[in-house]
Amino acid sequence: MRKFFPVEELARDSRFTQINMRQAEADPRTAMVGPNAAKRAKVNRLTPARPDASEAARNLMHGIFVGEIQALEGAGRTCHDFELPDPKNGGATDTVPFALKLDMARQAWDESRHVEISVKLGDWMGSEIGQFAENTVLFEAACSTDPVMRLAGVNRALEGLAIDVFTTMKEFGEIAGDPYLEFCEDWMLADEVTHVKMGSDWLRKVTENDPERRAKALEFQSIVDRLFSFGGARSESEDSPIGLARRFRELAGFTTDEVDDIADVSLAALEARKAFSAAAMAEKP
Amino acid sequence: MTVTVEPEEFRFVAFDNALIRKVGESLVTTLGIDRPVHVIVDESTPLGRIRAEIADTVTVTVESGSFEDSKRPRQQSEIATTINLGRILLRVSDRLHGGFADAPPDDDLSLAQMAAWETYCAGRLSRLELRINRQRWLYNFRNRHGFSDAADAAFDQLWAADSLTWPQLRSISSSASADLAAAS
Amino acid sequence: MADPYKPRAPFAPWDRRQLPGLFDVEESARRVGNYKWAEMKLFETLGGWVATVPELDVKMRLGAHCYHHAWHAELWHKRLPELREMNPERLTQPANEAMVRFVQVLAEPEAAEHTIEKLVGVYRVFIPHFIAAYTFHRNNTSEITDAPTIRSLDFALRDEFEDWRDGEMMLQSLIETPEEVDRAAAHQARLEKIMLEAGGIAGPGTIGGV
Repeated sequence: MRKFFPVEELARDSRFTQINMRQAEADPRTAMVGPNAAKRAKVNRLTPARPDASEAARNLMHGIFVGEIQALEGAGRTCHDFELPDPKNGGATDTVPFALKLDMARQAWDESRHVEISVKLGDWMGSEIGQFAENTVLFEAACSTDPVMRLAGVNRALEGLAIDVFTTMKEFGEIAGDPYLEFCEDWMLADEVTHVKMGSDWLRKVTENDPERRAKALEFQSIVDRLFSFGGARSESEDSPIGLARRFRELAGFTTDEVDDIADVSLAALEARKAFSAAAMAEKP
Repeated sequence: MTVTVEPEEFRFVAFDNALIRKVGESLVTTLGIDRPVHVIVDESTPLGRIRAEIADTVTVTVESGSFEDSKRPRQQSEIATTINLGRILLRVSDRLHGGFADAPPDDDLSLAQMAAWETYCAGRLSRLELRINRQRWLYNFRNRHGFSDAADAAFDQLWAADSLTWPQLRSISSSASADLAAAS
Repeated sequence: MADPYKPRAPFAPWDRRQLPGLFDVEESARRVGNYKWAEMKLFETLGGWVATVPELDVKMRLGAHCYHHAWHAELWHKRLPELREMNPERLTQPANEAMVRFVQVLAEPEAAEHTIEKLVGVYRVFIPHFIAAYTFHRNNTSEITDAPTIRSLDFALRDEFEDWRDGEMMLQSLIETPEEVDRAAAHQARLEKIMLEAGGIAGPGTIGGV
């Protein structure tokens, strides 16, 4: 088995259809601008008050499901792709400490439970496995050959996004009075806070004596955060279906400044998306 | 009866005007719609809302997500086109000759009433041998009427019905909703 | 109430534990080091395979089992210093060169069509050998002096039995044709021959007889 598995080869059964970020970005459609945007609700946040709430929640649940599969695969690959440090060459950047591997194995188990939970919730909400296209952007963030980049991309950016998504879904379940949704999202949220904290702690520890590497990792995280805010799907603006879960992010080890930065990056992504769509719609056919 | 579709050519999605027309014509015949239908697809949004205005012509406005293949973004799905156009045309048919003449316009329906009517439509479509996911509609109904045995019983009643009137549907919905209000 | 100052036997009549055991401290530590190395290789391989397996149920089980074996590796890692090995990495070693080769061949299958080979290697060869090695150690080490190792062995064995059953049932549900039976058997035989050469997870004498 190779080290470093390419995203294009992620193994799926025949029910799944995958798209990549490039394909998703090429779609100029949006609910936020366009000839009829003014007629739609002013708030896009995913709450039961939205007329299409059930559909949107099912769609997001499927996104969570495939995201959890990719998170499981990413954590599993980190167990496999990196060697333990050679005592003679302790500082090699392509090695990881034993305890970090153990944490990633634990995360693999957690993510596999999340896949199980998502399948059950999908059944409950009436969606089918593979019903919606799977965007493979999450695993792409887990492909870096530098383990520190993976921690930044997966544990801080991806799992951070999971905190935002689960918080939104938990609130949705609470308001709708859906006992399963709220119960399950709350449990998954607890795991994700742990994973983000794990990432924050390891990032700090592994780059303790290498500020340049830490800076690079944080820059990479910012890029991934922007990617995950694609289309303005997640931001503090009410134009975004998913909010930014400040309290849980702080519990997970993000500083207030870091959360502010993510909020800025997300808002910028939202505005960029609106501009792109407006330009596409203004073009003559 | 004729079915017309606009736009003729799509820019942002790979939809087929002729396919929408063909599906529409078949549904109009099956449901006995007695006047022309004009379908306007809003391809600027991926959302999936759909509405109809009834005059001498029935004008159906569809957001592109309604006809989209959810596995293949921007591609058309004939099944989704059939089911979603079928849902709205069933509501049109109900209003024209199905005991729903007194029903308020779509914009004035509560979310619960809309969910109840959608359930009534989806149940009937499932008996036309279209592939309808019952659980999807049950979930939608529960979101609007509560996660309770009473709501599920109301859902079953609507799903199995073939000839309700607006007062009957409103009454089933409001009794299930009343249960929700009492519980909260 | 009985007199609390009345002398009682230090070992209750129902406590039949024996002091003697087959292993001294060094031997127990050597075996534990081999176990840790083998469990590590297993959890790394399982983690790597998750992305390569298209069957959703198998993918999820591999994720869960990956952690079970990581936890066993952690138990052994913590046990080594208690067995006078202050540098656990020194004893975290394969029993011999054949064990290294065994793990290489075990981890060879990668293609999405090779789930049977992946599962055969783990659940029909490697895990049964873990069960054998752990059971032998558990039943032959001193029940009193090496009790902490026995406790860890018991935890690990419970997982091994459960995981073996999961894996075997997944395999039985995946094997649908006589050709697939042959494929499974051929891969099992290939790996068993290397394991035979290795003498077991802790080398010759893993289950006695040397």
